[in-house]
Amino acid sequence: MIEIQHLGKQFRNETEIHYRDLAFETGKSYMLLGASGCGKSTLLNMIAGILSPSEGRILIDGRDMTQASQKEKDSFRIQKIGYIFQDFKLIEDMTVADNLGILRLEKVDLSSMDEILEALGISEKKHARIKHLSGGQKQRVAIARALVKKPDIILADEPTGNLNFAIGEQVIRELVKVSQGKTLIAVTHDDRLAKYFDVVIDMNEITGGMEDSDLGREGAEC
Amino acid sequence: MLKFALKNMIVKRVQMILVALSIVISAGIAVLAFNVATQVDEGITNNAGYYSVILGPAGSSTQLAMNTMYFSEKPLGTIPYSVVSTMERDSRVTKVIPFAMADNYNGYAVVGTTPDYLANKTVGKGRLFDPQGSMEVVVGYHVARYNSLEIGDEIHTGHSAAAGDLHAQALTVVGILEESHSSFDNVVFTQLRTLWEIHDHGEEEQEGGEHSDHEGHDHGQATVCAVLVSTKNPGYAMQLVTEYDGKIQTMADGDSFTLQAIEPMSVVRDVLKDADDTKYIVFVLCAVILVMNIMIISIITLLNMYHSAKEISLMRLIGISMKRINLLYVIQNSILGLISVVLAFLMSRLCMGLMNDYVQSMGVVLNTGKIYPAEGLILLGVFVISVLPTAIWTFRMSGKDSMIG
Repeated sequence: MIEIQHLGKQFRNETEIHYRDLAFETGKSYMLLGASGCGKSTLLNMIAGILSPSEGRILIDGRDMTQASQKEKDSFRIQKIGYIFQDFKLIEDMTVADNLGILRLEKVDLSSMDEILEALGISEKKHARIKHLSGGQKQRVAIARALVKKPDIILADEPTGNLNFAIGEQVIRELVKVSQGKTLIAVTHDDRLAKYFDVVIDMNEITGGMEDSDLGREGAEC
Repeated sequence: MLKFALKNMIVKRVQMILVALSIVISAGIAVLAFNVATQVDEGITNNAGYYSVILGPAGSSTQLAMNTMYFSEKPLGTIPYSVVSTMERDSRVTKVIPFAMADNYNGYAVVGTTPDYLANKTVGKGRLFDPQGSMEVVVGYHVARYNSLEIGDEIHTGHSAAAGDLHAQALTVVGILEESHSSFDNVVFTQLRTLWEIHDHGEEEQEGGEHSDHEGHDHGQATVCAVLVSTKNPGYAMQLVTEYDGKIQTMADGDSFTLQAIEPMSVVRDVLKDADDTKYIVFVLCAVILVMNIMIISIITLLNMYHSAKEISLMRLIGISMKRINLLYVIQNSILGLISVVLAFLMSRLCMGLMNDYVQSMGVVLNTGKIYPAEGLILLGVFVISVLPTAIWTFRMSGKDSMIG
């Protein structure tokens, strides 16, 4: 269970964003729907410990992660959270296997790698370099990297943002399928994908404060 | 970690090869210059200390010293054997060694002398030649090795290596010197009498007759190229030089010759002084190359690190700790630095092997296996410099973790 309480974030450019209290239940899939800049990515980054909130608390299974040290946040992220980034965040010159293998630096068990690549339909690309893959294949690799460590929480930031709708829909179907039993929070601005999630949250209804159009980008790239 | 570091290095192979080349060139040149300069210095100085005075024909003192101690120059000419007898009678003298150089064996100089000349060398196989005998040779380590000579083998010397120019008399190998990494490795040693007999001197000495050498000059009696002398103390050496240097001596047949007497140490010191100036210039040039390459290494490494900033940020986002990332880059650069300094060392040894022919003309055989502690320091310094920019960069990155907002 992830609980958001009185959460707020103020950026260096004075932009502020406040979130209403929310709870994400374990085992359910959530879709955060909203236009660019409404604070969707910022929320994911704060849950992942990449951004620190300016106020409020994030409780994960009752533990206040906002009070955790950076080392603890890093450790939590590597062990419990699978994060799928909008722009994939893959090393282009390395192979699919190496991009997943990077997790071994933190001694992550990668025994399920082949199984996950198979489930995502990219097992034959295991030794291909990322730069030789299509956008859809890269997205699947990013999903595979998030799932291979068997996380409890999966955060997906615009997982279909770089894909056409048909491929994007297929990716979401696969993502929801392989995330069964875990907490999945996916951010998207495409409401056509809502039917695949257990809960759809309109971000415009839960955020307030001053925002600008760069907020989502700033949050995601900090 | 190591596996990933190696993969990452392969991915960035172009930058890695550039850095490695810079390290290999700079460290290799520095080590090579230091080692060669030191070995040449040591090689020249070591041999010079054995004798107090060298007597020979008038001419270049450097040529006389280099010829008698390092076999590197042609003999200045000859002086009568009577000079040897005169020195042996001198009460200030403790040891007298005649020295003659004539002919060659497959390009290796043949020296006629007494066993005393090899007193500081170790016979690896066989024995020294019999001072009372003749037609026996002791060969240097390289002579034996490169001509596959063994004890008991017979060799023919000559004015050149051409078959028609060889002397008919066969010389028997009775000893092979241990490798000394000096010019002695490349010389054939025999009794003085052997050289005389080959050139008919021996008979003439006994008969008191005259002899014309191969170039048609009359010596009037048995000759040597030089006489190496040890004295009871350095003062006597100075006295001998004063007495004999430039002295015109008249022989029984009325012919006269001019002697030259030198103190080999002072001649070598003069040679080394000139060499030192050259060495200084070489060292300065090496230092400049080293500094330039260090700058290049640092710049390339830092550019690589800036290039890697995106990669580091990516690793941070997926949860890899800065500690691990630091370690990854330090391992990468350590591997690169280590491989590069090993290659630099091997390159320096390869170059030394190639330079040996040239250096042997100065009477020194470079020992490619000889390692000086300072070389280790140079290589260690280059290694540290190659790793340091990365270490500083990554630790600075960890100090201000840009990912955290």
